[in-house]
Amino acid sequence: MRMKYDHDVIVIGGGPAGSTFARVAAAGGMDVLVIDKRKEIGVPVRCGEGLGKGEIIKQGLDLPRQCYSIEVEGAKVVAPNGKAIVWKNEGTRGWVLERKFFDKWLCELAVEKGAKVHTYTRAIEVLRDEKGKPNGVKVSHGGREPYEVRAPLIVSAEGMESMMARQMGFKTVHALYDVDTCYEYEMKPYDHENLIELYFGNEVAKRGYVWIFPKANRKANVGIGIGGNVANSEKLGGVKGAQPKTLLDAFIKNDKQLKEASTLLDFGGVISVGAPIDEFVKDNCMIIGTAAKQVDPIHGGGIGIAMETGVMAAGVALKAHARKDYSKAMLYEYEKQWRPGLGKDMANRLLLRKVLEKVSDDDLNHIFNTLTDNDMPDVMDGRFAGPVAKVLAGRPQLLGVLSALVPSGKPKV
Amino acid sequence: MITIKHDGCIFCVGCSSVCPASAIEAVGTRMKHFPEKCVDCGLCVKICPANVIQMYKGVKEPDDLPPEAKRG
Repeated sequence: MRMKYDHDVIVIGGGPAGSTFARVAAAGGMDVLVIDKRKEIGVPVRCGEGLGKGEIIKQGLDLPRQCYSIEVEGAKVVAPNGKAIVWKNEGTRGWVLERKFFDKWLCELAVEKGAKVHTYTRAIEVLRDEKGKPNGVKVSHGGREPYEVRAPLIVSAEGMESMMARQMGFKTVHALYDVDTCYEYEMKPYDHENLIELYFGNEVAKRGYVWIFPKANRKANVGIGIGGNVANSEKLGGVKGAQPKTLLDAFIKNDKQLKEASTLLDFGGVISVGAPIDEFVKDNCMIIGTAAKQVDPIHGGGIGIAMETGVMAAGVALKAHARKDYSKAMLYEYEKQWRPGLGKDMANRLLLRKVLEKVSDDDLNHIFNTLTDNDMPDVMDGRFAGPVAKVLAGRPQLLGVLSALVPSGKPKV
Repeated sequence: MITIKHDGCIFCVGCSSVCPASAIEAVGTRMKHFPEKCVDCGLCVKICPANVIQMYKGVKEPDDLPPEAKRG
């Protein structure tokens, strides 16, 4: 006898990835259930809240005013010696969001298209049919008596924790080397230049950076992310004193403006800065967004990627739904679309991250002194050859480190 | 074994994202440690941005042990 399903798809997690998936899938006619363990969608906020404009425009969405705090024009990247490069053009415009409202808005869009959303509902266990293929989830609302929900497709959009994805067999455990541990304050007053500010240097933030994301009314998110492998306990192989909160406090103490400012909010988190996981689909399962480690390895931003992935995966899910075939082979199309596009961008960024973490503060200063504002688009888009040649002209000893960025072996100096 | 100082926890779930044994999970509004699954690797201690997870030697029953973990 055929299994009777409650829904066509269950999405675990109502963040940007899950809500976007749900919106597109529901608009295409699927019966979608989104469950989120949080009491309120979008709370607590665990990120710096930056988002480029590209993805929202591409999806034809109109961001409501309450969803963002301020519009930013680009980024200012600051070297250990204080030299700054500004990266500002048409493509770098973006928002510093109010994640609380943004996430809820995205979720509401899904509801408007017909998706069903349950908050405070935690997935406890992935249920399987007699062949061992997932066909439902055991959930609990607010810690009450668990019940079963059945669907032929389960989508994990769980974010960093990804406990259900682990049960589905995805390898979502993060290695320390591939995560940054972050601490952040919301601070006021801070007068900014409508630019996201990033401060690099081994003194400032070991294998990471300090960021200042401007917000409306002279507020700013001031945070730090440092490599998980160097953080905290020196007994376990870390670097002495490399504790995100301690380093952030030290940075704030040395900043003319921030040392006088108040903190309005403490928060923190762990972000993925490694490669995406090795497979995104299994029979009756998909994994999208941060759960699949689809996060930019340079800045740890995942909202744009999550939304783009949500659309992509939902497109494939709709095809699978039309054929009533949720096999891995059918769902694999999502991964096939993802790897060459978004996957390639991410691989470039990962390479850049790994190279950057190898250079000393002195070399970093040299790189920043050499490059100009005009070089930033090349660097950020993965066209490394030009900038690398420029840097090497003044400091050839960096060849060993930087040659990794140029695919055809040795760059011309 | 580890203990979590819940007072300072900012609930970022970083510990559970690096835990190779799925021994820490967000349950309700706090992180719960499941000692029976814990492999004492210390990754959560290292990753915690708020520095509220501590490791200690030996098997001690921490006060915040979830009832389901208290066997016997």
